Amino acid sequence: MARTVIVCAILIVLHYTLRPLLAWRASVDFLIVALLLGAVRMRPGMGALYGFALGLLAGSLDVGGFGAAALGMSLIGFGASWLKAVFFADNLALNGFFLFIAKWLFDLIFLLVGHRAHGAELAMQLFVWSPLSAAVTAVAGVIALSILRPLMEMRTA
Amino acid sequence: MANAARLGNRVDVGLLAGCVVLSLIMVVLKDEDREPIASGLRRSLVAPLVGLQRGAERWRNAWVSSEQYQTTIDSLSLRGANAQAMRSENDQLRKLVGLGSRLEWGFVPAEALHSTAQSEELVTTITLTAGSTAGVKRYSPVVAPEGIVGMIQTADPSMSIAILYTHPDFHASAMSADGAAFGIIYPHSAGVTRGDAYMLEMRGVPTKVTLKPGAAIYTAGLGGVFPRGITIGNVVQELKTSEVWTRTYLVRPAVTPSRINTVLILNAQRVTQGTGNVWGGAAVNADSATRRIAAAGDSIARQAAALEAQARAAVLDSVRRATIDSVRRSLGAFIPQTDTSRATARPTRDSLRPPPDTAKKRP
Repeated sequence: MARTVIVCAILIVLHYTLRPLLAWRASVDFLIVALLLGAVRMRPGMGALYGFALGLLAGSLDVGGFGAAALGMSLIGFGASWLKAVFFADNLALNGFFLFIAKWLFDLIFLLVGHRAHGAELAMQLFVWSPLSAAVTAVAGVIALSILRPLMEMRTA
Repeated sequence: MANAARLGNRVDVGLLAGCVVLSLIMVVLKDEDREPIASGLRRSLVAPLVGLQRGAERWRNAWVSSEQYQTTIDSLSLRGANAQAMRSENDQLRKLVGLGSRLEWGFVPAEALHSTAQSEELVTTITLTAGSTAGVKRYSPVVAPEGIVGMIQTADPSMSIAILYTHPDFHASAMSADGAAFGIIYPHSAGVTRGDAYMLEMRGVPTKVTLKPGAAIYTAGLGGVFPRGITIGNVVQELKTSEVWTRTYLVRPAVTPSRINTVLILNAQRVTQGTGNVWGGAAVNADSATRRIAAAGDSIARQAAALEAQARAAVLDSVRRATIDSVRRSLGAFIPQTDTSRATARPTRDSLRPPPDTAKKRP
């Protein structure tokens, strides 16, 4: 569990260091990767709570989205923990797919609940930038999982 | 066991519901109500992450700024290089305009196009953008403001090819600035190294004449290709040869082939008439001064002769008129008051002959 915490902490730190450094228009969401990585090792309720905490963390820096991020991450954390059997399958492509879906769902909830965009801008955000960001997040998550796998597998051994 | 699982599920759902409700409450809260919570988090739990984010953004800004600075520096460097090239070209054009204004007539300006062949170590020919339609002919001298460049080898209607002084076929009669030493200029071929690839040799200089290093060499005007007084270069040193009665000197040319961009091609009439003191040699100075003095003397003599002839004619005319008047007066003829300044009123043969009746009255 401690190793998972370390890995999640690394991912959270990457979210606040690497992401601003890259400053891509479709950016990597390391918080979603950290959420899925931690939530699959918890009960669904704890996953929801973990997501809520991460959402508060993210929302505190963006007052306009305060609450929406917490709601989105709570639901994603709960869902990931509930579907943890799938995540336990040692398939990077499947993990990447779930990362993509998780990020897109999060953006959907965040944008709709937080009233961040309207009309064409919302459609553009949901169907262009969010999928792109989700894809980049999935790729980055798969790479991070591949790199951090030895650290994570030591627990099971 | 089933009860525990059911309880666990209920707890999970309860936690989810609690999180959702809390989230929705925060969503519906007004900004001024949400801000204290967010601010509290930023100051406590999130503070290290905020610091990390600020540092990362600072790095990012520094990186972008350095890229911008680099771009600015690159663009300024490029502009500087362009300005340098333009200044150099401008200087060359100014010199060429100066040369053109000194020559005044008898030349065709042309642009020099260098060969792009990389295999050619020594540049021996250049293509010029003026041809036979502009009056360029074979063997026309090609000159630059610094001095001699070469001569035309082939003249097509719109372009021509010139051989440079580095070409093996190039040679020109040369002399020192004081006109004491004469010789023939050839390209320096023996033992050509990278450093002296564009040097010249002045061969056939009499042994009794010694040229010091740095002495200026000009075309001598012998041979009919190059007019007298075009700068060739400066003496570097004497070369050791097997010749006994003559000396050979190494000459550094005044013109660098790689810097030739624009040249002037002298036409045949200009070659015949000479270029005078355009390149400023001492012997050329003396020569042109002598010519000018002779020309001035000639013109003074011509004017004096003309004045003398005019005065003689005037004297003869007045004597003739006075004689006629006195003859008429002695014969008692009527003398009209003629305008003495009218030179066209010349006496005729008949007027000199006295009338027959008056002659009879004479005793």
